[in-house]
Amino acid sequence: MKYLIVIACVITASAFPSAAQEHPAAGAEVPACITCHVSENPTEQDAALKACPRPNAEAAPAHESSESPDFFILDKLSDIYVPVVFPHKLHASMTEMGIGCEQCHHNNPPGPILGCSACHETKPEQANLKQPALKGAYHRQCLGCHREWDHETDCVVCHAKREPGHPVALPADSTDIMGMLHPNIEEPDIKVYKAEDMEGTPFVSFHHREHVQLFGLKCTACHQRENCSSCHNSEQQALPREREDPHQDCVRCHTEQVNNDCTFCHAETERPGFNHEQRTGFVLSTFHEGVTCTQCHPQKGAFTGQKPECNACHAADWVPTKPIDHAVTGVALDETHAQLGCVDCHTGGIGTPAVCEACHDEKPDISKWSTNAAPVRVPAPETSAPVEEHKGTGAKRYD
Amino acid sequence: MAAEISYAPVQRRFFTPGVYVLLALVLTAMALAVYRFIFGLESVTNLTNQYPWGLWIGVDVATGVALAAGGFTTSALAHIFHRKRFEAVVRPALLTAMLGYTFVGLGLMLDLGRYYNIWHPAWPTMWQGNSVLFEVGMCVMAYLTVLYSEFAPIACERFIGRVNLPGRLASWNGIVDRVLRSVNGTLGRVMVLLIIAGVVLSCMHQSSLGALMLIAPYKMHALWYTPILPLLFLMSAIAVGYPMVVFESMLASRSFGRKPEMDVLTPLSAFIPIFLGIYMVTKIADLLMRDAYPLLFEGSFQSFMFLLEMGGGVILPFAMLLSSRMRRSSRMLFSASMLVVLGVLINRVNVFIVAYRPPHTQSAYIPSVAEVLITAGLIATLMLVYRVMVTLFPILPKEHPAHLPGDN
Amino acid sequence: MDLNRRRFLQFLGAGAVGGISTAVTPAEASSVENISDGYGVLVDTTECIGCRKCEFACNREHHLTDLPLERYEDTSVFETERWLQANAYTVVNRHPNPENAAKPTFVKSQCLHCLDPACASACLVGALQRQENGAVTYDAWKCMGCRYCMVACPFQVPAYEYGNALTPQVRKCTFCASRTAQEGGLPACVEMCPQNCLTYGKRSELLALAHEKIAGNPELYQDHVYGESEAGGTSWLYLAARPFTELKFQDIGPEPIPHLTETIQHSIFKFGALPLMLYGMLGAVMRIAKGGHGRHAETTAEEEVS
Repeated sequence: MKYLIVIACVITASAFPSAAQEHPAAGAEVPACITCHVSENPTEQDAALKACPRPNAEAAPAHESSESPDFFILDKLSDIYVPVVFPHKLHASMTEMGIGCEQCHHNNPPGPILGCSACHETKPEQANLKQPALKGAYHRQCLGCHREWDHETDCVVCHAKREPGHPVALPADSTDIMGMLHPNIEEPDIKVYKAEDMEGTPFVSFHHREHVQLFGLKCTACHQRENCSSCHNSEQQALPREREDPHQDCVRCHTEQVNNDCTFCHAETERPGFNHEQRTGFVLSTFHEGVTCTQCHPQKGAFTGQKPECNACHAADWVPTKPIDHAVTGVALDETHAQLGCVDCHTGGIGTPAVCEACHDEKPDISKWSTNAAPVRVPAPETSAPVEEHKGTGAKRYD
Repeated sequence: MAAEISYAPVQRRFFTPGVYVLLALVLTAMALAVYRFIFGLESVTNLTNQYPWGLWIGVDVATGVALAAGGFTTSALAHIFHRKRFEAVVRPALLTAMLGYTFVGLGLMLDLGRYYNIWHPAWPTMWQGNSVLFEVGMCVMAYLTVLYSEFAPIACERFIGRVNLPGRLASWNGIVDRVLRSVNGTLGRVMVLLIIAGVVLSCMHQSSLGALMLIAPYKMHALWYTPILPLLFLMSAIAVGYPMVVFESMLASRSFGRKPEMDVLTPLSAFIPIFLGIYMVTKIADLLMRDAYPLLFEGSFQSFMFLLEMGGGVILPFAMLLSSRMRRSSRMLFSASMLVVLGVLINRVNVFIVAYRPPHTQSAYIPSVAEVLITAGLIATLMLVYRVMVTLFPILPKEHPAHLPGDN
Repeated sequence: MDLNRRRFLQFLGAGAVGGISTAVTPAEASSVENISDGYGVLVDTTECIGCRKCEFACNREHHLTDLPLERYEDTSVFETERWLQANAYTVVNRHPNPENAAKPTFVKSQCLHCLDPACASACLVGALQRQENGAVTYDAWKCMGCRYCMVACPFQVPAYEYGNALTPQVRKCTFCASRTAQEGGLPACVEMCPQNCLTYGKRSELLALAHEKIAGNPELYQDHVYGESEAGGTSWLYLAARPFTELKFQDIGPEPIPHLTETIQHSIFKFGALPLMLYGMLGAVMRIAKGGHGRHAETTAEEEVS
């Protein structure tokens, strides 16, 4: 589906040059000539355009940012760089902080929104002195803001170096701000809200970092369909986040609790964060440190409990999802034994002592297997997925 | 011309300790000059894109031209105004001028990036009449020709009737003698015209030298930048003419162990306060009329240099030379003349270097040791050549046998 | 006798001074008004982002350095002011913006190609000349390396190859004369500029455009086109959002720089009048003085001439 949209956009974008052959305002309600021209009778040879009034944009037709295409591929003048992927919808949403579409689509006549090449000449030598050529027009659109916004004016911020045969990589999600060029968002540890109407139990402690780091939630799990103006005013200052219903983010996962159990969140005092031992009595240290919740509790939403017995999880057919350092048990494996499966030795299941006699005639002296010996990792099966890096730790570019 | 005065080559020991010092300077400068021609200006000078003109232009060229003014001022006095009593100083002054201008040319050759193109301004297709420098260049070339023509009879005088070529060339003696006589005769016939031309040409380029810096109004310090800079240059050149003659004559006398020619120099120095006074008044009036005088007290290096130039180089010697007693004292006359000479030197350095304050400058210009040594070497060479010339040719007046003190 | 003498004087005057005056008279002091409308470039510093691609394009065009394109993205060069050099015909400098620290102003510097260039007026061999199209060009073959042009330039543009011992050149922006000579050809920097900060065109049209831009956005632009009148006008023109002096532009008046020197030159040396007058005067003085003082003095050529 996503690719369909992109293809549609590319077609639209490449359709612009043909539109440039005719009057830019063709097919639409033609505005008064003097909107763009000095002369009342502009000709094709002498267009007598006004100087580009870029900084003082005049009214463009109102469009919702949600109507806008997701991406544009700009490939007009690229001989040394690969085409530029322009996340249009993201930028459209940004303009809602300002004056809307006309922030970029300046002087758009009534009717459909036109692309840059509808007015701006591709070849600089043919360009009207009063208008930048297409190259200048594109760059001014981008750099006019970016030079101030993130001070990133290097070519490669937008233009990946051309490598023959390299396909154009599209970003995954046009609404994923953190995946774009957004500067690092400082992630709060905890947010304590005070619900004045909840007498006795006004405090709601929301452990933000926990939800991201421990529970592995992505930003977009809660921050859905965000745009710039929901966090920034037109001066780009951060604004407090406001919701129509304070429960709207929580209810997606905690449906049951929001509907039935207010005290799940609302408390007399600020609450400490989640502690596995306190909540379940199961100590995570040593063997389960660094294991994410979903590895043991695969069900989405409400986590179900697990039996405390080792073999409840580590059944006979259990294979580690990532290399396990056996040395944490106090016994380091040599290369030969590292190749074996867990149950080859632990015939009674994981957590039971190893049975050497299954292979060896008599019990060998394993005390020489010092734990200080170079640990040999038990390899994980090749199918195991790499642990996903959290996106909030740094702005990632799709270059 | 030589009715009352007769000239003769100086007969003195040539090599003195001073000469060895000069020779050392000459050899050092020659080595550095060779280095400059092999490795370029960058290797020896501190010139930058902001300071394209340095010590060599300020001293070797601009000051060199100014101090050669003794030549035209004395020739004007003796030949045009017919003050015959000053004949005695005309020849040494002429020699100084001739050598001065020759060394201006040499100094320029060192400074020019494409020295081999030095003839270009003389080539009609490259004439550029808007350029002040073109006018300076043409005048200097013409004046140099005039100077050599004026000097040629002196050389002829030395050899006419005495041509004695060595060995086989002796058969040419008669022909050479005849050539010398004819040159002497021809030059003698046009000498009057050459003398006037010399004065006119001097006035032209002495003033134009001042006009050079008028093309940089935004870079020049207001203490020096004035539309009458050409006039001031001409006035200061005229003012420094006689002090230079006095200075150089007394220096030569001392060096050769002769008695200073006070009978000529004292009356000559009576002119100095007149010309120096005119220059001083004009310069002060200019400062007042342009309202530039508050800059004198701005405490900058420029204001200090201006005060030094005017106080030590103009006002002080002017005051000294007003007194006829001072003018009669050889020591005081020498000091005052030296002050005027130094004053003009400082003035030229000020105009061409100190006052010049270009934009976008990373560091100020301070001449390199090599630049200073080459300049010193050029002056030393000039002094040596002067010594050789007065030893070979009849330039200094013949001494009365009465006073012949020991060699110095 | 008198007649002979006068004729001789005239002859000599023509010989000594006339040669110079003939060179001077045809080149009348130029006035800016009758300079043909050449080409120029309008630099809109409000659009410049300091990417230094113009430096790259210029250096590549003139084979000045062979730094790869990536090296021009190094912004640490902005820490100190850089200026034109023998191997840098154009440089971009950054000037902090007190009103908005996030948006410093960048200014590209190069030869401004004056309408009445001081360098060309100063050059005594005509190595620097203003062309019909507005470019001030340099002919290394004529140059004798006196560097008077560098003294004269009020913008401190010409640089010199001090390190070259044999064939040093004065180096400055050429206005890409070879490129612009072709139909539709643009100077290398203008063509490269991604922001179109540089607009190449007829100077008169650029001026009109500049004023239109100012009128269209008076809050942004300073109401001053740098180069419109500076030093009698320059081919390169600048627009800026801040006072030009804050951006290290030289504060230069409307008078063409060579005006004073050329006026002096031409008024004094027109037809060699003044030198001839002086010549005649001195001749007269000589005769009178001789009568007074030198009655008995030996004469030389004078009597033979007359």
